[in-house]
Amino acid sequence: MGDMQPHDSKATLLRRLADVGLPPVGLAFLGVLLLVPVFVQDEFILRLLISALMFGGLAMAFDFTAGFINIVNFGYAAFWGVGAYVSALLVVRLGWSPWLAMPAGALAAGILGFLLGLLTIRLGGIFASCMTWFVALALMSTAGNLVELTNGHAGLTTPLLLETTRNWPYFYIILGEVLAIYVVLMAIIRSRVGLAFRAIGQDLEAAASSGVDAVRYKVMNFTISCAIAGLIGGFYAHFIGVLVPQVLHTSHTVEVLAIAYIGGRGTIWGSLVAALIMVPLMEYLKDLMEFRMILYGLMMIVIMIYYPKGLSGAWEVIAARLRKRRAAGGPQPEPLCLSSTPAGDPAHPAGKGR
Amino acid sequence: MNLLIESWDILVSGILRGGFYALMAVGLSLVFGVMNIANFAHGEFYMLGAYAAYFALTLFHLGPVASILAAAGLTFLAGAALEKACFYPLRERTRKGWVMNTFLVTLGISIILQNTTKLVWGNEYRGITAYWSGRVDWLSSMSISMDRVAGFVIAMGVILAFVLFMNRTQTGRAIRAVSQDETGSSLVGIDLNRIHTLTFALSAMLAGVAGACLLSINPAYPTMGLNPLYKSWFVAILVGMGNVGASIVGGLLVGLLETVTYSYVGGGWQDVISLGIIILILLFKPKGLFGVKGIKTVLE
Repeated sequence: MGDMQPHDSKATLLRRLADVGLPPVGLAFLGVLLLVPVFVQDEFILRLLISALMFGGLAMAFDFTAGFINIVNFGYAAFWGVGAYVSALLVVRLGWSPWLAMPAGALAAGILGFLLGLLTIRLGGIFASCMTWFVALALMSTAGNLVELTNGHAGLTTPLLLETTRNWPYFYIILGEVLAIYVVLMAIIRSRVGLAFRAIGQDLEAAASSGVDAVRYKVMNFTISCAIAGLIGGFYAHFIGVLVPQVLHTSHTVEVLAIAYIGGRGTIWGSLVAALIMVPLMEYLKDLMEFRMILYGLMMIVIMIYYPKGLSGAWEVIAARLRKRRAAGGPQPEPLCLSSTPAGDPAHPAGKGR
Repeated sequence: MNLLIESWDILVSGILRGGFYALMAVGLSLVFGVMNIANFAHGEFYMLGAYAAYFALTLFHLGPVASILAAAGLTFLAGAALEKACFYPLRERTRKGWVMNTFLVTLGISIILQNTTKLVWGNEYRGITAYWSGRVDWLSSMSISMDRVAGFVIAMGVILAFVLFMNRTQTGRAIRAVSQDETGSSLVGIDLNRIHTLTFALSAMLAGVAGACLLSINPAYPTMGLNPLYKSWFVAILVGMGNVGASIVGGLLVGLLETVTYSYVGGGWQDVISLGIIILILLFKPKGLFGVKGIKTVLE
């Protein structure tokens, strides 16, 4: 954690960083991540971390929609897959450079998200989920059926981004991508647009009647989220080297969704932290096979029913306690209202049982 | 003349297929109408029904009808247990964001059920050759296995019994009352908790019967529920959620649509075509084909 010295310019710098979503804790976290390839030479662990970062980026963008405008994009993997396929096809069939094709993939996913958003956003929440889900299913069968173009289920071999066999350059690329995504999402969330998102997510009718153009904001949000999925998809294509239609499968959406919800809805950072914990954890539990998925399911149910704020809720409680201790300045008796400090459902303090 | 025979064949096989979509969709629609739950685990009850019938038939050597009944009973119990274990505590805790929260809970249930089955019974297919041997050849130019016809008859019988139950009995009427106005129903003394449990159990049972009837065509395996699940969602969106009567017509329509696509465009494309049609319907008739006042539709 950066030292909080009374030095003026340093304090303002820290404050400015905190404003873009990088408080001292976050900076320390980023520092650790930056140093990982220096100390970790194991290629397997690096690949695992790359995969965790990819899921982190996806889950953040997913949370940007689910946690703020309250629409669960149940076809999320399809946007990831569209980004991956468009980027891969541009390189394979048209000979583009992967560096150009990746943003093009993001653009394609964004456009698809925009069109689908226009179509589904006016539907009630659950139907928007269903529609995106159906589109994802249809895209998956299309990708499997267009054998001349995509090579179908045999898989499309995709040129890699770099000529190296080492993983650390990829690690820095995805880390940079995820950091950029995080900063952009946080900037949006903290702006007036983000306020509108929250208003829409909490009470659509109230927001609409106080003059928020709900459809416009929702479509905007949806498009951004889908474009990010496409961007990460492009990276995935040129990192993994082979694409199969299964990339678009619902099970990937479920994974992203579970990570976002375990992290805590409406926080953005919670998703990233959850991904960095869950993806390696699940990899190490691989031998457990079905138990692993059962664990996933159980966690989802328990979190939905008992801990709707997920990991971020737990962190809030810890942070509130630390703050209190610091404010009290010593072993003074704690005030009684301890558990009701974090914002949340007054009926059950989020800290209970954690 | 050939064309006529061909279209008749397609009609018959579409209807035979659609009957089960209807059976699935009615259950899905019921739970959404009464409890406001978009059930993602609906296909898992179909899967449980198939397994239950399989074991009843092979392990306990029950007859076909008894096996299907056993599957119905087991899935009914499973549905009731899950409602008590998951939705009841959630309902007691918070009603905020109910539709989305329950949707995700059903997603969790679906993951757990699928993987538990995989764990216990493995990834292999467990099927039977036929409940009833023999073929029917007077229905169309192709001979159709006896099973498909019998299964269809059972499916229609179950739907009919269900409709009668909903309209003629006190309990059925209570369920309908809850779907229309929850506060009002509790004011007149309907026990909401009981109705919710019953509704979820009934819906699970309908899916279970569908799975059991189709055992000889679709053998039991852990992820078999996904396909029927989204087919029943197709139907529900097509006709509007909570519209039990229209779900029957919708199921038959989707079955027909798929058979037509299958025979004229080729396998693998039926999802794409169905989706295209649903998008068109949502664009031009967002309340579903049979949008009726008081029925929940996609616009909510």
